[in-house]
Amino acid sequence: MLEKEVVQQRGFRNVYKNGQIVGFQVGYRSTYYRGIWLSLSTGFDVTVDGEKFPRDKVTVTVNGKTYTQEEMKKISDVQWHNYEPAILTVEKPGGLKPGVHEVKIDWGHRTSYFAPGRTMGGGGGRPSADTTRKLVLAR
Amino acid sequence: MTRHNLMTRKEFLQTAAGAVAASAVLTTSSVSASAVPKAASAPAERRGPKRGVSVYCYSSDIAVNVTLEDCLAEISDMGTEGQEMGIEILANGSIENYPNPSEAWVKNWHNMMAKYHLKPVEYGHWIDSKLYVEGPEGLLNSQESYDMLVRDIKLANRLGFTCGRTKIGVIDEELFPVPNWREFIKRALPVAEKYNFRMLTEVHTPTLLKGRVMDEYMDFITKEKCTPWFGFNIDFSVFQNKPTSSGRGGAAGSFSKPEEIIPFLPYTHCCHAKFNEINQNCEDLTIPYPEIIKIMVDHDWNNYILSEYEGSDKNNGGAWSAVRRQHVLLKRLLGDA
Repeated sequence: MLEKEVVQQRGFRNVYKNGQIVGFQVGYRSTYYRGIWLSLSTGFDVTVDGEKFPRDKVTVTVNGKTYTQEEMKKISDVQWHNYEPAILTVEKPGGLKPGVHEVKIDWGHRTSYFAPGRTMGGGGGRPSADTTRKLVLAR
Repeated sequence: MTRHNLMTRKEFLQTAAGAVAASAVLTTSSVSASAVPKAASAPAERRGPKRGVSVYCYSSDIAVNVTLEDCLAEISDMGTEGQEMGIEILANGSIENYPNPSEAWVKNWHNMMAKYHLKPVEYGHWIDSKLYVEGPEGLLNSQESYDMLVRDIKLANRLGFTCGRTKIGVIDEELFPVPNWREFIKRALPVAEKYNFRMLTEVHTPTLLKGRVMDEYMDFITKEKCTPWFGFNIDFSVFQNKPTSSGRGGAAGSFSKPEEIIPFLPYTHCCHAKFNEINQNCEDLTIPYPEIIKIMVDHDWNNYILSEYEGSDKNNGGAWSAVRRQHVLLKRLLGDA
């Protein structure tokens, strides 16, 4: 099951490469009422403790495959299911210190059957969804 | 109302007096099932739409609090003896590993239909014209649209669905379809027929039943003589004539009258029983259900209407009770036991 909050605590941890911490990852639950093709996304923005990360430092993993946000725009057949979170991996040498961090994730997407210009914002189909959450990093 | 206790309901409805009384019963909003005599063989004989639910109603809870199977069990609780509840699923969201579910998942799907006495009626799917961009340049071309559509028709057929809520991309505030819609729909007509799949474009607020959007679709239907393979799902949001408690919708000029559905009934193979607020007496506060149901009964429209809940408490677990209250209302209006 997913956590009810948009920003998932399960999966929030630092990421290692060759024994070094190269960044951290955090899961984001789509609040849209259904799954969508990943290319319908207008982008993911991650802000931790007030530090906003550029999109080229944030990759997106769904169904076990990782995409840069530029690659994500062009793929036609990757379905982001609404029953699994998108794992966002943020490049940050040294990662985050264990402890409490305020994590904000913004995401939007196009909707083919809505009038032009009505891209859906952070809460997707649920305007009340909170996209900022205090998470504990323990690893 | 005249009492006809000594007749079966079937015999009653066959009398002229019965027909008059039945229409009088359906125009009141406080109908209860006990006002209509119990029939010897009611469910197969009764006129009017059959009932169902879209799992969209529970979309705030799926994968967070409940599984798909929990939703199917819930829907089963609103049935009538001897008649299957209809269901709608959302292809992207209800099907594990869409668009490529495993054989095991598909087998289990059919087991669940049998276990909960459900009939797969409508398969919600999208022809995502804005897959890459917002447009108007760069929208999905007709080949790509056709490929997406055919993939869904085949998958829907594998799961037993005979209707699709075929969402076509739109280009303006009235929800006028994308320029190449006729090309890919026309090309898919023989595929739809082969797989017994009715492609139904959803007619939804703010579209009005009298207007250029319906004219556009009817022009195609008439020219291509493609009934029933392309037609309508009319979402009852088009009839919302009162605002919700939070002031949403129902403004003058924004809705259609129930009788405006009549010319479209022969091309409408499924409807969304949209609802926003049902009170504790199981009366709908924003959409004129008694009038809509009466028109359908009078015109012998016997397809499925599938609940779609848009209430403000949907994100706080409100759907579970609301959908049941709506089906109590529908049962009263339709005389279901």
